[in-house]
Amino acid sequence: MTSPVIEARNIVKSFGGVRAVDDVSVSVMPGEIHAVIGENGAGKSTLMRILAGVETPDSGSVRIDGKEIENSAKASIDAGISLVHQELSLIPEMTVAENIMLGAFPTNGGWTKTKEMKKIAADTLKEIGVEVDLDERISRLSVALRQFVEIARAVARKPKVLILDEPTATLTPAETDYLLSMLQRLASQGLAIIYISHRIPEVFKICNKVTILRDGKLVTNDSIGDLTPDKVIDQMVGRELHLDLTQRRPAREFGELVLSAKGIKAPKVNGIDLEVSKGQIVGLGGLVGAGRTELLRAIIGADPRSAGRVTITSNGKKRVITGYLSAIKAGVAYVPEERRTDGLALTMTVAENIFLPNRKEVSPTGVMPKGKIAAFAKDLSEKVNLRPPEVTREAGQYSGGNQQKIVIAKWLGRKPSFIVLDEPTRGVDVGAKAEIHKLVKELADEGAAVLVISSDLPELLELSDLIHVVRDGKIAGTLTGAEATEKSVMSLAAGEKLVGA
Amino acid sequence: MTNQTVIKVGSTATGFWGKFRSVLARRTEGRAVVLFAIIATFVTVSQPLVFTAYQVTLGRIALIGLVALGLTAVILMGELDLSVASTLAVSGVIAVTVANQTNMAIGVLAALAAGVVVSLINAFFVAIVGINSFIATLGMLFALRGMAFVISDEAPVKLQNTDLGIAFGQPLLGPLTPRILIFFLIFIAIQIFVSRVKAGREFLAVGGNRQAAYDAGIPVKRRIFTGFIISGVVAAIAGIINAVERTSADPTSGSTVLLASFAAAIIGGNYLKGGKGSIIGTLIGAASLGMLQVALTISGVQIPIQEIFIGGILLIAVITDPSSLRAVWGSLSTTFQGIKNSLAK
Repeated sequence: MTSPVIEARNIVKSFGGVRAVDDVSVSVMPGEIHAVIGENGAGKSTLMRILAGVETPDSGSVRIDGKEIENSAKASIDAGISLVHQELSLIPEMTVAENIMLGAFPTNGGWTKTKEMKKIAADTLKEIGVEVDLDERISRLSVALRQFVEIARAVARKPKVLILDEPTATLTPAETDYLLSMLQRLASQGLAIIYISHRIPEVFKICNKVTILRDGKLVTNDSIGDLTPDKVIDQMVGRELHLDLTQRRPAREFGELVLSAKGIKAPKVNGIDLEVSKGQIVGLGGLVGAGRTELLRAIIGADPRSAGRVTITSNGKKRVITGYLSAIKAGVAYVPEERRTDGLALTMTVAENIFLPNRKEVSPTGVMPKGKIAAFAKDLSEKVNLRPPEVTREAGQYSGGNQQKIVIAKWLGRKPSFIVLDEPTRGVDVGAKAEIHKLVKELADEGAAVLVISSDLPELLELSDLIHVVRDGKIAGTLTGAEATEKSVMSLAAGEKLVGA
Repeated sequence: MTNQTVIKVGSTATGFWGKFRSVLARRTEGRAVVLFAIIATFVTVSQPLVFTAYQVTLGRIALIGLVALGLTAVILMGELDLSVASTLAVSGVIAVTVANQTNMAIGVLAALAAGVVVSLINAFFVAIVGINSFIATLGMLFALRGMAFVISDEAPVKLQNTDLGIAFGQPLLGPLTPRILIFFLIFIAIQIFVSRVKAGREFLAVGGNRQAAYDAGIPVKRRIFTGFIISGVVAAIAGIINAVERTSADPTSGSTVLLASFAAAIIGGNYLKGGKGSIIGTLIGAASLGMLQVALTISGVQIPIQEIFIGGILLIAVITDPSSLRAVWGSLSTTFQGIKNSLAK
């Protein structure tokens, strides 16, 4: 039996108080394609960044051919680890050849040897079986080709271990098939490949071994032959037995239709219909990158859509949504994913933040009496249970959970008819999370229509009356709040057919 | 193992025109060339004197373009160097002051050294301390301006060796004055540096995606130092040329150079956030501006009116950028669609 090319031993890494990677060991043989899978936030990407030397572990070691390597990007590259990043790391205005050889231009006393550079780049592209004009600029290539150039760059460094972080997330099925056969070919030449993916069918197609992470811990490390897709999803989700069903929303009647979106098309959104009624909470499940945020932003006009028609009915008046401002007028409240950059002015006080979307409500004349603003803000911050409710403090001084409450509070002043939340409790502590859940449910009970994106499965199940699972910019399936389970949502999201459905 | 190739792209263009079109599409100077052609046509018809008196025109282009060339090295990396204007003033004052006490050669060396020192300080604040380059070099802009006044005792310093100054304004090679020759030499040098030398080729990577450049093992900080040194030294050379040609170093000189240089770089298709642009683009941008200025001057247009023209052209150059056009088009089509939908209701 041969020995592993790469071996990670007892890796631990914490961010703040959270253990992102908790005592994980992985080893990969030459010629093996090793899948690392898990839910969003299970610690896969952090582990890979540690292997690539970009992130420093709190403890644990990485060995190549049995020899421990130093923790630095350079040491990892020199030892033969190549990471193909999830976010493309190409230089848009440089040519294909320059990008493949970036940082490793062949030189002669400082002068670049362009011919040699092109030759190595051409050979590498040939090796992976892609034909691209070497002088073409990256900005003129399709996303798929960029992905292949990125892989070519990793392969050009003659690595022993190739790590790919969700390489198929942006590819079409045909391109994905091509990529998978390319990886099989590279593995057959002795390369060790670590393949991170959410897509279970892909894993079963090409991988030899599977490592499953959940909440930073290693739960499974098995040969593919010992697993079934069903088992894998069980292991990824892991906690369905603990789900408290009493917290779910009981089935009931909803009011009139508030949101009607038909045939929405936008970048990453391929034709989606969506409806939300008064008093209803609709959840959007799916994997990161499935197109949920894009869908939501296209619906409320925050980003342009290429097709589709959206209407919002509030107070008996039906309005067509053409852009973000018309959405605001129609009573939309949008709580974005990046609250620190998109949702709040961190250096302004709580009162000022809350006042921003409520200028007309507080001061119809345009004069801004401080006392009135403060009183208005105080009312709302008490409603959302901001702690401490000191409206003269800067928003940036509050914790993540409280900041999120401020974002919600500032919209409540307008009595929104349609509330849109994108990952409302990401990075929020447990206590604040429960309060935000309670608040969202109350808002729906008071008659708002709510659309919420969440990658946190228990949250999605707890909040939603109806769950649409989005995959590849389409709705892969719809589940009622009562019938949905973490497993059924995950199956739809990961592209595995619902068992028995 | 079949090496089947299913994915194929590029080089689909065949024939001379096909190749020509694909080369054109790959370059960032396209709009600059079009603008240049429009101005050139307009000038040929209305003021052919611009071409007959090409010495004057070339001199003007060199005046606008020299500092812009150095500046472009920094802009390619997504940084700014506002201090070039003051570097120009201070190096002129130093060159003349030192030359008056010793000789011209030492004066030139002292001025160049000043340029290097200024750039090292700029680069230190930007690359090592991590201050935004706009702020760091803005501080330098003020500090150096003050320094130029202190060294010159708040008055223009006369160059005692006036013969040299007069000789410097005369054609040296054919009809070309030393200023024009130096301008083209520096253009060639920087162009070769950013297109043939490893360090220079990596500038575009530093500007295009700094994290990726760093991850790929490019010494990003060292590249930033190099860029600032190029911009500082070129500004110092411009200061020396100005002082020698006028046989006097004025501490207030260079105040208009800053904006003109940025204008030339931007009209030449350089993207201020970095990662997109070229030295050739800046040359074309400077040529367009120079031609326009000379033509307007010959036509008797006042300087303030000329500036209105330059402002207009700058805006045209920026809004015709394909990505801005796409963004404008995107939001327009959403709006139109919305209107259409509401009408259909």
